Amino acid sequence: MDAADRELLQSTIHDALAAHAEANPTAATDAMLGVPARADDVLADLGWFEMLEAEPRDAVSIVAHELGATDTYASILDDVFAAALAVEPRADLAVVLPAYPGTAYPAHGSGGAAGIGTSRTSNASELLVVRNDTEAVLVPASAATVTPVAGIAPRWGATKVAIATVAGTDVALAPGAWERAIAAGRRAVGHEIVGANRTMIALAREHALDRVQFGKPIAQFQSLRHKLAEAFVAVESTDAALTSAWDVADSAESLMTAALAKALAARGARTVATHTQQVLAGIGFTTDHQFHFFLKRCLLLEGMFGSADSITLEVGRHLLATRTVPTLIEL
Amino acid sequence: MADGASARLTEQATDMDIAQFRAELHAWLDEHADEVALQYSEPGTLKDRLDQIRRIRGLLYDAGFMRYGWPERVGGLGGPAMMRTELNAAISGRGLSDPGTASLVEVLGPTMVDYAPPELAAEMMPKLLSGEELWCQGFSEPGSGSDLASLSCRATPNLGPNGGDPETATSWTINGQKVWTSIADFSERCVLLTRTGTPESRHRAITAFFVDMDTPGITRRPIEMINGEAEFCEVFFDDVQVPADRICGGVNGGWAVAMSILPFERSSCFWAWVSYEQFKLQQAVELAPDDDRAAEALGNGYLQWYALRARSRLTQLRMAAGEPLGAETSVDKVLVAMSEHAVYDAARKVLGGGVEIDDDPAAEVWRTGWLYSRASTIYGGTAEVQRNIIARRLLELGDEA
Repeated sequence: MDAADRELLQSTIHDALAAHAEANPTAATDAMLGVPARADDVLADLGWFEMLEAEPRDAVSIVAHELGATDTYASILDDVFAAALAVEPRADLAVVLPAYPGTAYPAHGSGGAAGIGTSRTSNASELLVVRNDTEAVLVPASAATVTPVAGIAPRWGATKVAIATVAGTDVALAPGAWERAIAAGRRAVGHEIVGANRTMIALAREHALDRVQFGKPIAQFQSLRHKLAEAFVAVESTDAALTSAWDVADSAESLMTAALAKALAARGARTVATHTQQVLAGIGFTTDHQFHFFLKRCLLLEGMFGSADSITLEVGRHLLATRTVPTLIEL
Repeated sequence: MADGASARLTEQATDMDIAQFRAELHAWLDEHADEVALQYSEPGTLKDRLDQIRRIRGLLYDAGFMRYGWPERVGGLGGPAMMRTELNAAISGRGLSDPGTASLVEVLGPTMVDYAPPELAAEMMPKLLSGEELWCQGFSEPGSGSDLASLSCRATPNLGPNGGDPETATSWTINGQKVWTSIADFSERCVLLTRTGTPESRHRAITAFFVDMDTPGITRRPIEMINGEAEFCEVFFDDVQVPADRICGGVNGGWAVAMSILPFERSSCFWAWVSYEQFKLQQAVELAPDDDRAAEALGNGYLQWYALRARSRLTQLRMAAGEPLGAETSVDKVLVAMSEHAVYDAARKVLGGGVEIDDDPAAEVWRTGWLYSRASTIYGGTAEVQRNIIARRLLELGDEA
């Protein structure tokens, strides 16, 4: 896929998701709206499953980014994890994700499993549960207790999943499959954050140009310009880290680069949210403005598969254990 | 390596695979590790470090490496400019020279190639590349820092009492002052920006000269920095005579020269900074205690460093692909400063007092390094100027109040 193809794909997906959002209006406040209509079918119609198999980089980076950018929701993490675990993704297969905010195997010592899920866990026929580095099990959905959780971002549609006894069809995993799945999940979440962050900056920019105080648009005040510039730097560096993570996604560096990209995404999301919310000021503090959806989505995603602080500590421990500062990416 | 290996690289310079070049370069540096190593004990003086730069440039020039990426008409061996980027990164990454003073070749060399009269470029560039000479950049003035276009160091054509077309003058007289001129008192030449119109003419009447620093009338006064070193100077020009054939970019064409430097100053140079910061982080990692406080500090330094590396890598690749670089390099500059701060802050934390209360040579190196790192939000365009550029050009927020 060349740059022009990619651009076309991006605008196609963007338009389809924006149309989906428009056709499924939701009430403004979290308490009233619950989980909005999912865009899973929209993506499937656009060839999501085929794209994920043929061009995983373009599929994940574009779709995750556009979901974040358009404030639409689909259960792509199930498919991203399944693909990384070499289990064929399908619309009725959900994956039990690690308990928030960590990366541990969902299966625990007592023979059961606990984790979080996307909204697909509520209507899938089977749940894929990873036991350890070499074993997973396809569990009938009837064996799982799935509890929708509103949390800070009800629209995202997260669930908590509990399984008393993990039993079903055994699936053998290639060594390192779970780590690779976590890396894939981190890249996907990173793109979703970047998409949301870019819209947050666009919203703040628009407000700064429209809002007049002291006889001029507040965009003319340097303190606000610099806040938006800092937000821009944060999202650009995350974007660069994601690009590099994909460039080495098939090599030994894939795990560390995905972890770093996720840490930068989480940290950058705080920077972007803090500055854009300050620029939006009063209106950004109300549910009259859509900003809060992006803010809350990012707050949830910041901790998913490891927070910036936990990843940073993990990376620091690795530096000390090896006494080496890895280069990771070259020209 | 003025031998078989060098010749092989020359033949392939035009379509050199960059990974292969990097491998051969590092193999050569490994093989000649003793020759390129520091010949003084750290911290050493600024002169020690500049002598080191001259010396290893000579070795690398003879081996051919210092010539790749430069056109043949100025003594180069051709090949993509990314070869120079790799070379500078390799030198900095091994701690063989710090990237700041070394990067003046990258800042001033391309200017010479593109804007100097061809004979001048052909004569002078080999002196720069081989380490025979060091050059400095005479841009900033006491009254012109971030606002470069307001500079006032004046150049007047020597036309006789009746005046005439400045283009016909065979020599010019320069009067005025520059400041923050890095390594001015160790440099043989200077690329100097002068005012050649009214004070209000701003960027429309600036002319660039290539000036010999031993010309009568030039006085250099080193300025001691907060880390005790005197890397830059005030430079005074009193009736300094410069031939007209030393004009680069034509009379009143100096702004284009200055602007042409920026893509290099804020892009290719940074790859060497990235490698040098990695070298410093590596030293900190080797010294750190094995506890979570150190892990957290180093993890933070590494994360911020990696953000710069990821961003700068994409910029280098875009540059290599021939894409024009502009305002977006301000993002790189902001990240350089953030990384520089984070790396030295991490080192300071894990050293547990090494920066503040020890006097051994290693502590002295960390101390001067940490203090110098605070300049990163100032040099090469302040953090505020970069954010202004990002706001106006990249976010399109319109003009400021």
